[in-house]
Amino acid sequence: MSVPKLPGAKALGVLQTLPRISLANLRPEPGSKKEDRRRGRGQHGGNRSGRGHKGERQRGNRPRLGFEGGQTPFYLVIPKYGFNEGHSRRPQYQPLSLRRLQYLIDLGRVDTTQPIDLTQLVNGRGVTIQPLKRDYGVQLVDEGASKFSAKIHIEVQRASEGAIAAIERNGGVITTSFYDPISLGILIKPVPFFLRGQPIPKRMLPGQEMVPYYMDAENRGYMADPEKIQQARLALAQKYGYILPDISKDELYHMLSMRKDVRQIFFGLAPGWVVNMSEKKILKPTDEKLLKYYGS
Amino acid sequence: MAAPRVRQCYLFCRIAGRNVIPLQIKPNSVLSGDTINTIQTSVRFASRDSEDTQDTQVHIPVERLIVSYSRSSGPGGQHVNKVSTKAEVRFHVKTADWIQEDVRQKIFEKNQNRINKAGELLVTSELSRSQHRNLSDCVQKISAIITEASKKPCEPTEEDVAVRAARLEKRNKERLKQKKINSTIKLSRRVDFD
Repeated sequence: MSVPKLPGAKALGVLQTLPRISLANLRPEPGSKKEDRRRGRGQHGGNRSGRGHKGERQRGNRPRLGFEGGQTPFYLVIPKYGFNEGHSRRPQYQPLSLRRLQYLIDLGRVDTTQPIDLTQLVNGRGVTIQPLKRDYGVQLVDEGASKFSAKIHIEVQRASEGAIAAIERNGGVITTSFYDPISLGILIKPVPFFLRGQPIPKRMLPGQEMVPYYMDAENRGYMADPEKIQQARLALAQKYGYILPDISKDELYHMLSMRKDVRQIFFGLAPGWVVNMSEKKILKPTDEKLLKYYGS
Repeated sequence: MAAPRVRQCYLFCRIAGRNVIPLQIKPNSVLSGDTINTIQTSVRFASRDSEDTQDTQVHIPVERLIVSYSRSSGPGGQHVNKVSTKAEVRFHVKTADWIQEDVRQKIFEKNQNRINKAGELLVTSELSRSQHRNLSDCVQKISAIITEASKKPCEPTEEDVAVRAARLEKRNKERLKQKKINSTIKLSRRVDFD
């Protein structure tokens, strides 16, 4: 072998000699394109063309969907009841199973060394939130709890008891917090918000119906008493039959104990600040009134 | 940052409607209290009326229990064939020093069906599709067994005793009254020759 073989040399040679690609030179791979069945052609597609014999069926004049030949149809027999009443005013939460969360962590789409926020989940394309469709965030569901084994610090909007147990069993921390629709829109798409040039607004507090949920230690609400949360952690460990690992002895304790303020949307950014993406600067307000407003 | 933490407490106080006093909470007090895995709750013995509202918070040391998982029975296709969802928890009753002596004895007597030859109490659960929930169900069953065994028979109160005595007396009086009536009837049928 006098001439050394370079990788791709043969292909390069072929490319250099063959003519330019045009519509005349292209052809699909044999066997990739299968011909459709066409009605009205041949012995099997022809004759009545799959329409049956006479009547409305063959003539294409069948009545509307739900019609039962004159008998009062099912959808009119059943009386109305307010199952869907006010459906457009009900908050919805996109479910996130622990199985999916484990999948995302295993693939590296979500970083466990930092607190997992809704922004991180959306960046990792784990969930899709539509604030305009009455989505108020994400809820953690305990499907796949038996196989879940990751120590994480996660913040969601709602969580089931089994999900909380599964996360705490692995030495993690879970908090439920509330984001009003505007804050939610900013949280899931931070960069387009920063490009607007507006100051970061303060996160609103939950409405009257949701306050008991977020003040309850059982739900690990962000407004709950820390001592009660500790008791609730012990009680849950008892209930689900696992030993609660001691987090204060953990090396990632600092990360696991990071909490957002009630009015804060992003970690490390306070309300009132303006983020300039192009110049990579953060502008903070200095006026008293503004500071008082954003500090309240 | 301590400032947001204080502000959180301030807001919490404001929401809860308490007087706002700027407290200095220790940062991260949530997670620093993990000393013991026990809950110091006493089992409230139920009175006759409040049996439903009894606490079922018996402390169960999880490390003393032997947990094993196996495949569940019943229909369910591939899931039931492959996944071990049946949870089984067992512990040796006689040497379980986390239960009081008399309660242990009572458990042994009452639950003969659940105790095997080696003296271990066996509790299984295949209630749900997940190991996680079945384990929780087992633990709750165990805690129910223990609370049932530690129920003490309630002593009758003073008013109960008084009511019972009154009823007995009334019964006796009634019996004697009936007896007298019967006796007069019999007397009236008798014909005495002077």
